[in-house]
Amino acid sequence: MEETVSDAYGEPISAGATPHAGELTVQFDKAVDLARIEGLLRQARERGGGSPETVSTLNLVAIFFSAAQYEKAGEALEVAGTLHPCRLIAVIADQGIEQESLTARLSVVRSGGAITMERVVLSATGRAVRHLESAMMGLLRPDLPMVVVWGGRPQGDLLRRVVESADRIVTDSGARPPSYLTETASLLAKGAPIGDLAWARIFPWQALAADTLDVPDLREHRGNIRRARVVCAGAIGAEGLLLLGWMQSRIKRLEVEIRAEGEAEQEKASASTPVPRAARLGLGHVKLLEFVSPPATFTLVREKDVLISQVKGDDDGFCAHRVRLPPEMPGRLLALELKLLSGRDELYAQAVQAAAKLLATRT
Amino acid sequence: MPYAPEHDEIPNPLRPGLRADSAPEPCSVVIFGGSGDLAHRKLVPALYNLAVGAHLPAAFGIVGVSKSAYSHEEFAQEMREAVGRFSRTRPVDPEIWQDFAAGIRYVAGSFDDQETFARLRAQLDELDKVRSTRGNRLYYFATPPSTFPTLLKQLKAAGMINPPLDTRFTRVVIEKPFGRDLASARALNRLVLETCDERQVFRIDHYLGKETVQNLLVFRFANSIFEPIWNRRYVDQVQITAGEELGMEGRGRYYEEAGILRDMIQNHVLQLVCLSALEPPVSFDADSVRDEKIKVLRAIETFDTPEQVARNVVLGQYAPGSVAGADVPGYQQEKEVAKGSRTPTFAAIRLNIRSWRWDGVPFYVRSGKRMPKRATEIAIHFRPVPHPLFGEGTTQPNVLIIRVQPEEGIALRFSAKVPGERFRPRTVSMDFRYGTTFAAASPEAYERLLLDAMRGDQTLFTRKDEVEAAWRIVGNILKVTESSEFPPPHPYPAGTWGPAAADELLAQDRRVWRRL
Repeated sequence: MEETVSDAYGEPISAGATPHAGELTVQFDKAVDLARIEGLLRQARERGGGSPETVSTLNLVAIFFSAAQYEKAGEALEVAGTLHPCRLIAVIADQGIEQESLTARLSVVRSGGAITMERVVLSATGRAVRHLESAMMGLLRPDLPMVVVWGGRPQGDLLRRVVESADRIVTDSGARPPSYLTETASLLAKGAPIGDLAWARIFPWQALAADTLDVPDLREHRGNIRRARVVCAGAIGAEGLLLLGWMQSRIKRLEVEIRAEGEAEQEKASASTPVPRAARLGLGHVKLLEFVSPPATFTLVREKDVLISQVKGDDDGFCAHRVRLPPEMPGRLLALELKLLSGRDELYAQAVQAAAKLLATRT
Repeated sequence: MPYAPEHDEIPNPLRPGLRADSAPEPCSVVIFGGSGDLAHRKLVPALYNLAVGAHLPAAFGIVGVSKSAYSHEEFAQEMREAVGRFSRTRPVDPEIWQDFAAGIRYVAGSFDDQETFARLRAQLDELDKVRSTRGNRLYYFATPPSTFPTLLKQLKAAGMINPPLDTRFTRVVIEKPFGRDLASARALNRLVLETCDERQVFRIDHYLGKETVQNLLVFRFANSIFEPIWNRRYVDQVQITAGEELGMEGRGRYYEEAGILRDMIQNHVLQLVCLSALEPPVSFDADSVRDEKIKVLRAIETFDTPEQVARNVVLGQYAPGSVAGADVPGYQQEKEVAKGSRTPTFAAIRLNIRSWRWDGVPFYVRSGKRMPKRATEIAIHFRPVPHPLFGEGTTQPNVLIIRVQPEEGIALRFSAKVPGERFRPRTVSMDFRYGTTFAAASPEAYERLLLDAMRGDQTLFTRKDEVEAAWRIVGNILKVTESSEFPPPHPYPAGTWGPAAADELLAQDRRVWRRL
């Protein structure tokens, strides 16, 4: 059935991606031979003389629509997969290339001797993409939760089927125009267990807002929050809408406002600091959150790598909190989302519903 | 938890369901003993690592207090060198350090001098202004226990301890040893509670900050398969070992006063017994967990007579020997140790927990200095199979091992068939290694505990009654073993697992220590 099996040390393969050193690759011409893939995985596990013991806590399925998308996300998947040992099945369905091909690339990642990630990269082009879904289902390790990283738009038949079978689906609303939050809201309304990297991106803002209202002298303002305002960098982004949606879902009759101001930070050159810095302020990311509980106004603002909350109208105004933003590493947000392996994050679902309503009123 | 809402307070509408950890409130950490070893090796590196991980509030300050004369800058420089040597994240990040060091201050002075505390107060007020630390204070007593009463009295006299419900928190972290017997522990508790409320007191036992120790609770109470067999019906014996290969390392004077019973058994080892033996707490809050631990301590049979002590306790003291291929001196040849010293450096004890769950299951605990290697573990030995189906002596009982250090993890020893045509069982071990499974670096115990103290979470700190109950057990042993009529500790060569008498303790019960 398969055409070639090779130790592809740097040898290019048909999906257009460059294989990693030590990968085993196999090409199929008609359908995927799952037993062959499992056999090669066994071979990969036994290579290098290390222990073939494998630790797994989940099936991590990542779905992409081009090899370039996968290559971009590869490092994050590997880091998150190392923090949450797993079988990673990356599926690349590239219908943009007409020629039919179907390839599996297999490798393992070791940590401290044991194998903490088995990686299967299934790439298909042309009509061969129709085999990917069943191949992916056949490669899942039994009894482990299945979390899908969805690299495409939140719509389509494939996503609908994935929603039915996955314990969790992780998407990134921040990577798309915010209008797609409406689609996400409708999936959530049907009970889809969706997680969102854009949601994880605003965790520090949420924590700081809550912490500020926990400052003993400021607790009196908890019951009277009337208005909230978010400013995004460069353009209105999903993060800002989610932040406002979250506040609206938590506080009754809250008037909200969102706008864009200034520009996003340029891509940083990779600075060689001993500790990584916080992620840059990207397009649509939150740069300011303000909420008013008369007479006090709470302003949370990002200054470089630090979030600062200030209060005015209560006494003479003071700085309630300053927190450093977490150091950014590839896969950090995904690893945060993978802490929840099944079910819905109700708080997120409510925030998305509120954000979708907000979007509807703006249009 | 960052705060406890008063009953008439409106709940924080933004708090429910948040997945992000909250940062501690802005605060200043005052380290009494700032120029000492603990501050250099553990406390300041731990605080720096919390800053690296973005777990500290940026509005944060550290004040070192000691007799040594330093300027603020000299102290900050010395702390930077300490972080460079002892931090788990290295090298030091200049930008993060700059922000961190901007909140470092130093106050030189004697603890007996009221002026020291007046200067400390002024320094803290200054930090409140320039670093927005908002009047919150965490006092860390990294000093010998003899200084605790003075520190408490001076802090109180200087008006530096706020009431527990004040909007500005005051918390006191007290290092072990907490007292040197039951009477002194009670006296110290009385003194502490004259000055503070129990909710403000954080008695630290750094073993409880270790990931594996915390994982023991998760392992027991998040898995349904172990709890049904975690009792006298299935468990034959429990062995707890806490050994280290180090000798005195310049701590001879302290050790002469403490010995292994005060240094290890009263705190770390009894905490491991508690966590192994406790009943499921009703919830995972500080008092529920500590309520269950105290029940275990109260159920441990005390040794009230010299005969009981002689039957159940073996003490040892290391003699010259060899550890890891190097010759090492005996205890009595160590600096600041008296010739003819009777201080034990090893103890093996058979404990019986008089409870429905454990009665009749011996808990053998042993701890010592100059052991062949550093190893802390809890080994649950299950009963043998009732009928030797595959031949007499062909199978070994199952053992579940919880390794606390090094290579934190859990191993299960069980029988498997040797490949071939006959049924020949062989004992194999299934190993789970923390560091391998979860590649994320575990925080140091002090990082976790300092963060908890700043957040006001007392779950991993010992409560007054817990300390006293532990002293009740160890105090009875000390009363007997420190009398001149009790024989001196058995000598054992450095680099061995203690004296032969420790083996005989188990041999009486037809058992042997696990080979480590």
